[in-house]
Amino acid sequence: MNGSGPDGRPRALIVEDEDTLRELIVVTLGEAFACIEATDGDSALELLRESPPDLMLLDVAMPGLSGIEVLREMRADPVLKEVPVCVVSAWQSPGDVAQALEAGADRFLAKPFRVDELASIARSLVERRR
Amino acid sequence: MKRLSLVGRVALLASVVALVVGVIVASALVAILSLRHSEARESQAKDVTVATLRVQELAVEIQSSLRGYVLSLNPRFLTLLHEQRAELPGALTQLDRLMVDDPVQLRRAHAATEELRGYLQDYVDNVVFLAPISPADARGSASGDEDRLRMTQIRQTLGLVLATENTRSQHRAVHTRAVARTAEIIGIVGLAGSALLVLLFGAWVAHGVARPLRQTAEAATDVARGNLSVRLDEGGVGEVGSLVSAFNSMTRSLEVSRRELLLQNERLRESEQHKRDLISMVSHELRTPLSAVLGFTSLLLERDFPPDEQRRYLEIVDTQARRLAALAGDFLDVQLLEGGGFELELAPFDLVELAREQTRLFFSHSESHELAVDVPDEPLIVNGDRDRLAQVVGNLLSNAIKYSPEGGEVRVFVGERGGKAVFSVSDSGLGIPVEDRERVFDKFFRGAAKTTTVGGTGLGLAVAREIVTTHGGTIDVESTLGHGSTFTFELPLSLTPAVSA
Repeated sequence: MNGSGPDGRPRALIVEDEDTLRELIVVTLGEAFACIEATDGDSALELLRESPPDLMLLDVAMPGLSGIEVLREMRADPVLKEVPVCVVSAWQSPGDVAQALEAGADRFLAKPFRVDELASIARSLVERRR
Repeated sequence: MKRLSLVGRVALLASVVALVVGVIVASALVAILSLRHSEARESQAKDVTVATLRVQELAVEIQSSLRGYVLSLNPRFLTLLHEQRAELPGALTQLDRLMVDDPVQLRRAHAATEELRGYLQDYVDNVVFLAPISPADARGSASGDEDRLRMTQIRQTLGLVLATENTRSQHRAVHTRAVARTAEIIGIVGLAGSALLVLLFGAWVAHGVARPLRQTAEAATDVARGNLSVRLDEGGVGEVGSLVSAFNSMTRSLEVSRRELLLQNERLRESEQHKRDLISMVSHELRTPLSAVLGFTSLLLERDFPPDEQRRYLEIVDTQARRLAALAGDFLDVQLLEGGGFELELAPFDLVELAREQTRLFFSHSESHELAVDVPDEPLIVNGDRDRLAQVVGNLLSNAIKYSPEGGEVRVFVGERGGKAVFSVSDSGLGIPVEDRERVFDKFFRGAAKTTTVGGTGLGLAVAREIVTTHGGTIDVESTLGHGSTFTFELPLSLTPAVSA
């Protein structure tokens, strides 16, 4: 894989403005993934363009660009449109979920989530891509 | 001028119209009566003339009969003479009667009567007596001067009566024509005047009563259709004027109450929206700490971490659980606010010490903020509920951090000013737009913060204000958009020293 880490683990980009939640996701996925972190939409896009990861976990409500806006830009970019994305959000009305899926999310995970569910979604998204 | 009621005015005007019409009718009647009187007088003059002429005619006939008898001695003439003589007193009496109220003419009539009697007794009787005895003397006498003189005298007297009556008759005819013209003019002018008055009265009623009533009815229809801004021109007559002003004050108060209702409705809608926002906010605000608590607990239960990592994750769980508890506390406080205030447990305590403690608590983790604390060395004792005031100070400090996401200086000040204890905290963050400054203390109000990612329930400041005002204090904000905000509260100083804990 183009985005695999130096030790062969797939690379996961975690975009989340809440420090504790970002840390939780990193700890959960840390054994199987090489994690890269971003706290807002703009820096996420910067990291994506530097080197596309194998998986992205994306929060929606963030300072600056929202997760949905980041997703739309990615899907319009020929290089980034194939990156699997799981949106993780506290805003989970049917409208919010539909908006995320329409913007190009592969999966939607509602907060509060179960860590094992998060790990299995991450695994399945990366495996499906291989 | 004294203001009369409408009924009074209508009655007054109707009386005036009736009076004027009455005067006109009476004048016409007087004119007609006067015309009749004139006509009667005119016809009386004619009767006098007729009666006088009859007397004159009889006198001439008597003269003719006398002459016929004297010349022919035919007894037929004597019979005629006697018949004519017999008619004379009746004719004279008739003349007398007609002249009863006219002394001058009556005198003349009496003179004529005397002359006639003289003629008959002193002359006619003698000639009749003489004729059979001496026809020649009788003939001479009958065609003589005495006969002519006496008859001329009688004719003259009667002629005077006739001439006078003729003049009078002419005068009376002229007078009668004048009276008739006057009566005619009074009739025509009176009729036209009455018609005009009635028309004017009708026009006044139409203008002063019917028109305002019609306008009021039209305006009422407008009101029924929902247009409450209709106003009528005020200043009508009496009851109509009162009706118009009553109508106007009715629409005014209707409009005011509708505006109030609309406003109330708007407020209700806003408060409904706030509640919906709150529910959505609550669920969102709860989910983040809940995710951390659930997630780290799962990881700790399922995996083996080195002790230092275990400790760190437990601390996170602890912090996030406390965050949940604080949120639950906020909602509970809102319940209390809506239920009518809360009970304070008052005791004297040191505000400086409280400020130090809270500042330590909130700034121990923040590296991006530069803290400047300006507090006195001596304690500043206030009489209050320490836990509740700690909640206020904590809320203001956490807001200062939350609403300056880029970091920067946060200044905390505690001091005494004008006999009051003052606490203030300034940040150099986002600031608050002017239009939102009054409302930041309103329940559920989050202003522009709602659209940012700065979390919050819109409850903290509402609760803080309630706590401060229940203590008899005040809380205020000063802010420059883009340059930060300063929140300040003041509390009455305590007169008793603090009880050491």
